Amino acid sequence: MNMIELLTELAVMPLIAFTIGLFMVLMMRKIAAKIQRRVGPPLLQPLYDIVKLYAKKTQNSHGLVHDIGIIMAVGGYIAAETMLPVPGMNGIAAKSGLLALAYVIMIPSLGLALGVGQCANPNGSIGIARALTAMLAYDVPFVIIIFGASWFYGSNNLIDIVAHQQAGGIATWGAAKMPVLAIAALFSMYAMLGKQPFEIYVAPAEIATGPMVEMGGKYLGGLFVMQCFQLFTASAIYVTMFLGGGENWPFFLVKLFAIIAIPMSMAFVFPRYRTEDVLAVVWRWPVLLGLAGVWLVMH
Amino acid sequence: MTSLDLLLILSGLTTLAGFAFGNHRAYPWLAGIVLTAQIVILASMPLPMAAGFGFEMFGHPVGWQMDGFGRFFALITLGAALASVAYTGGEWGERYAAGGKNLRWLHGALAGNVLAMLLLLASGDLIAFFIGWELTSWAGFLLMAQGGERALRAAMRYVPYAMAGAMAVLGGLVLSLTWTGTLDLSQLVMLVPGLANWKLALLLALFGTGFAIKMGLLPVHLWQTPAYAEAPGAATAFLGAISSRMGLFGFGLLLVKLITLTRLADLSFIDGLFSARDLIEWVAALTIVLPTFTALKQNDARYLLAWHGIGQSGYMLLGLVIGDATGSAGGLLHVFNHATYQAALVLSVFAVMHRTGTADLNSMGGLVTRMPLTFLVMLLGIIGLAGLPPMNGFVSKWLIYRSLMIEGRPLLFLMTVLGTLGTILSVYKLIHNTFLGQLRAEHEQIREAPWSMLVPMLALVALAFVTGVAPGLALNYVNEAQAALGLPVMAHTLGGVESPRGSLDMLWIVGVLFAGFGIGALLFYGAGGRSKRIHQLDNYAGGHFLSADVRYQYSDHFYAGLMHRIGPLYRGSFTQMEAALASANDLLASLMQAWYRQAVPALTLLIATVLGLAWMIWR
Amino acid sequence: MSTLKNIPVVSHEKPSGGTGNLLANVFDELMAFCRSRSLFMLHYCTGCGAIELPPAMTSRFDMERLGIQPMVTPRQADILLVTGYVSTKTLKRIILTYEQMNSPKYVIGICSCTVNGGMYWQSYATAKKLNDYLPVDMYIAGCMPRPEAVIHGLRELMENIKKGESDNWRDYYRRYDHYLGNQQRLFGENWQTPTDIIGEARHYDLMGPETLGPHTALLEQHQTPLKPFEMTLGLADLPVRKDEPR
Ligand code: SF4
Repeated sequence: MNMIELLTELAVMPLIAFTIGLFMVLMMRKIAAKIQRRVGPPLLQPLYDIVKLYAKKTQNSHGLVHDIGIIMAVGGYIAAETMLPVPGMNGIAAKSGLLALAYVIMIPSLGLALGVGQCANPNGSIGIARALTAMLAYDVPFVIIIFGASWFYGSNNLIDIVAHQQAGGIATWGAAKMPVLAIAALFSMYAMLGKQPFEIYVAPAEIATGPMVEMGGKYLGGLFVMQCFQLFTASAIYVTMFLGGGENWPFFLVKLFAIIAIPMSMAFVFPRYRTEDVLAVVWRWPVLLGLAGVWLVMH
Repeated sequence: MTSLDLLLILSGLTTLAGFAFGNHRAYPWLAGIVLTAQIVILASMPLPMAAGFGFEMFGHPVGWQMDGFGRFFALITLGAALASVAYTGGEWGERYAAGGKNLRWLHGALAGNVLAMLLLLASGDLIAFFIGWELTSWAGFLLMAQGGERALRAAMRYVPYAMAGAMAVLGGLVLSLTWTGTLDLSQLVMLVPGLANWKLALLLALFGTGFAIKMGLLPVHLWQTPAYAEAPGAATAFLGAISSRMGLFGFGLLLVKLITLTRLADLSFIDGLFSARDLIEWVAALTIVLPTFTALKQNDARYLLAWHGIGQSGYMLLGLVIGDATGSAGGLLHVFNHATYQAALVLSVFAVMHRTGTADLNSMGGLVTRMPLTFLVMLLGIIGLAGLPPMNGFVSKWLIYRSLMIEGRPLLFLMTVLGTLGTILSVYKLIHNTFLGQLRAEHEQIREAPWSMLVPMLALVALAFVTGVAPGLALNYVNEAQAALGLPVMAHTLGGVESPRGSLDMLWIVGVLFAGFGIGALLFYGAGGRSKRIHQLDNYAGGHFLSADVRYQYSDHFYAGLMHRIGPLYRGSFTQMEAALASANDLLASLMQAWYRQAVPALTLLIATVLGLAWMIWR
Repeated sequence: MSTLKNIPVVSHEKPSGGTGNLLANVFDELMAFCRSRSLFMLHYCTGCGAIELPPAMTSRFDMERLGIQPMVTPRQADILLVTGYVSTKTLKRIILTYEQMNSPKYVIGICSCTVNGGMYWQSYATAKKLNDYLPVDMYIAGCMPRPEAVIHGLRELMENIKKGESDNWRDYYRRYDHYLGNQQRLFGENWQTPTDIIGEARHYDLMGPETLGPHTALLEQHQTPLKPFEMTLGLADLPVRKDEPR
């Protein structure tokens, strides 16, 4: 592959991810609306929100770190998208791999945490403390699953993993070969998305949306963008590990949206857990399933 | 005179100079130049390099020889010393001296530590090793004891540990002499693996205890936190960066070189199920997790970092014991990486202390506007400590994870990741409570740390960043160390590892990451409206009017929800165990005392006399 | 006394309206459209009127289909809904909240009580006309207005925003002295919020003829200065603390 082709991919992949993410946000809000028997937002609502937020006339900054936090939150995901293979494009997936990707997507969260910290608002700090606790909760099953998957495929390289699954159609998909791990992964991804009942760090009525408490204008807009990326990334990682990755765009999109739709159709009927209960639930079921899955894969 | 001689002589001279006129303004410059020269000499030294001197003891030749393994550690030692001396050289040292403390002792002890470590790292036989070991322990004690009363108490706590460790090492030395008839390392390498299993187990237990104590492995880690945390600034950085790695150096010699990892796996406790190798791996894994989560509960920045120092040493040992090319490279690389960011972190904490007078995480906040460069140092430092890209801590941990994946060790892998996650939580608390949040009214007037302190800190994080982007630079030395230990050597590129089963190219990852940040910045500054800085009191409080006299900051009991769940698991078992051992010891001592001095002094005297006479007659 | 003329339903210069720069006009139209279709709302539930908001938000009337959704803190919000009588003590919080919101921002007074005091007209403890203290963009009268009325009001506001007519937030900057004067008369001359309206007006070039005046001069006398902490190396400009620990 020549350099120009690679650079184009690096530029296009985040854009695609963002666009898909926008529609995922829309789908999420539509699902919530349908469950509550509402009409829900119009098609371009997520875009309107972001444009409006970026275009606010006055914006409040609590200092340079506040700004840098948002830049890191968006920029980190832009970088992460180039490590996730999509149909026809591999970006730098071969140079980073699953494990590195799992750590690169912590960079945006770290950026956000810094930015929120600089806001000097205790609600925000509590939110971050809870978000990090939630991360501690869902990452434990998540890394078990990463371990199982990369042991099974004998590789850490996402391109290999996709090729391995596409070799024999659905029968060689990760979900068919390691169903237990696939279920555990779905559970831990659900927790990762931070929707009810796992939305301990947003908790609007309790800590005033936690990390977002002092975010307005383009700061909040940046977080909305980040959410689009986050939805896409979580879903794409899952599809890559368990659902055969992307053989072509239509199938890939169906899989991506389906994976987000599953937890979202459950989320909006739940209230919220307490922090310690999130830990208890996530450290019990997905971890046990994950360990069982790893055992099955290794024996 | 060989270049190793030169290296040691220079170190000796610096030590003397330190004790003689360490308080002189020129000393830091002198020491800095000498240390730089030493680094150059060491780096350009052909290996293995024997010392030109030596002597005989009990008929055994005692000599020094530097190999790739020793050089790797020695380079880090000299680098850490350089940073510490530079940090102490300016305003920090002046205030230290003005506070009535003795700068000569500090500089002398620091240089003495370097000398002792170099002697240890270059030892060619077990006697030289033991001499180096003892010198390191006592030099370490000297350095720990400099920080005032609390430091002295902490250092005194180290003494029984150090003595027990020394006894154990000495015991191991005597046993290996008895069983093999030699103390020369090059001969021991051939003879020791042939010993019977129980002999190896005994050697492992004796040497292992000594090394574990120095390294702060569970369960003999308790001395380390207060001893390191209470030492004066630069000393803490030096100790935290490299001092306890001497234990790891010992483990490298013992486990990999002498006993060898294959023999280690033969020493099984439950037939074929759990071997000594598994035991060490699990001790290392627990050393990663438990101290990390203890760090999470600390409210003093120095203690927090010291606990993490213990936790990170688990990664190094684990990597070394897994013993494949990737894992051992990760373990060894982590020694270097940890030294860079840990020293920077400790120095930044002391820079904050220099200005605010406190390291209490509940009485700071918002300092980023006042000490932005120190913030930058701490930020890069914590990214390294947490093991996230783009800093070097990520690379070494990645290698360790990767080798655990290849070797198929899911539970150990889980433990390492758990340690990393715990570290992320804990370091966020560190940086948040120090630099983020609300600036206290009494800190509104403070300034950035002086350049004499900033330069070494910035240099250290720069090093940590550069070796994170281009880990190949450091991996060259790691390969040498692997070769010297007889481990498989990991092939590497400048950006990391290239392998069909999953490669890592940090050059690309970091490049793309920063390109991402660039686009993020473009979006933020270009597409978004102009922003205006606002005062920290212009803040959401549910409509409440904030004022400077009321603290609006969340710092204490930072992870309350998490502690609800895991809080009951902190039982202080190790502290209790230490206390139990100490009181058992006391009891024994007082019984003995009572026996010979109070209860039956006459009888004791009589027995002693009779025995003494009998011995003399029998001779 | 107040006449209708005093209620500033002002339409100031439309930004770059009709200056011929087509691209800029299209861009402004687009922004105005997005603004009108995405309204985050902060409901300051001071009075009885709040009870009519849940039906307006939930299944029956579903505000979200108009792009309106509730938000939690002033920073995130575009609309400040004041839903009923405003006592003096509450008004302070409302003003603070309003000032913390990011412009463009809109105030909606729901209920007759916000229009003229309503049935609390005689009360010593309530502010009568919200418009004296904040630039209200839309009143939804009624005691209390039905959700249909609320939705209707919101649609009107959306129309106004799309047409660029609803920019009373500029008025708050341009005539800050007037609003501040009314606030001072009510709260006493020591009144101040931790926000910096004048600084903002300067920063964003929103100053008007009446931004500064006798009332802001009075404010400056009392105000404890709230200059944001600029990031500084402090090598020259900050003195070392006298009590810096030795
Ligand atoms: S107008 Fe009527 S319903 Fe509304 S706040 Fe006043 S009294 Fe209550």
